[in-house]
Amino acid sequence: MTGPLATVAIMLPLLLACWAVVLVVVNRPPGRSLWVALGALELVLVVFLVWGVVSLLARATDFARLEFVLYLLGVVAVVPVAGWWVREEKSRAAAAVIVVALLVVPIMVVRVQQVWSGV
Amino acid sequence: MSESRVNRGFGRVLIVIYGVFALAATARSFSQIVTRFDEAPVAYTLSAIAALIYIVATVALARGDRTSTRVATVAIAIELAGVLVVGLASLLAPAAFPEASVWSGFGSGYLFIPLVLPLVGLWWLWRSRTPQ
Repeated sequence: MTGPLATVAIMLPLLLACWAVVLVVVNRPPGRSLWVALGALELVLVVFLVWGVVSLLARATDFARLEFVLYLLGVVAVVPVAGWWVREEKSRAAAAVIVVALLVVPIMVVRVQQVWSGV
Repeated sequence: MSESRVNRGFGRVLIVIYGVFALAATARSFSQIVTRFDEAPVAYTLSAIAALIYIVATVALARGDRTSTRVATVAIAIELAGVLVVGLASLLAPAAFPEASVWSGFGSGYLFIPLVLPLVGLWWLWRSRTPQ
């Protein structure tokens, strides 16, 4: 579960997290451009999920399959849930919630990789 | 819920962090208990209790009404006591904790967030309290 796609799935959320941190610092909620970027990130994560499931089905050797699928589902759930949670929050707290979500995503991607390699 | 400020502003951020811990602790404790409870019953039981407290705190903070705020205060106070007692116990009697629980070593396996979170939670509940 390593390669360019996984790297993007780790680095892109970290980059967007920096962006959201800036919004927290300048005291603004996420604007339209950040939401668009988050949408693009979500697309990447959905592709990562599909790739993960295909890899899972293609793999013959035993590993923690249930844990693997749950982490993959978690990866695609985090950003939408965070967006829903701050739908009515018009302060910088909304950006801070997005920061937390964007830090959780790479952690979960790394967990997906660890479960895949049997750590 | 409009009378409450607990689940607004910074409260939203706090609840998200509690939610992440509730989910992570629940998933972890579920897999520990299902797959290998015999290896470390004390640590795994504590993990399950910690998970439960995180769930209660998350839901109570998110609801944010007067009763829920009391529930949240109690849950977070228990959480603080738990992380302190378990943290100390894991240092004094490491044999009982062959595998880490969320709270062992004062949450050192989780960047000490489990130690800081209840303090921040209690501070927030105190700050956003409604005048009697």
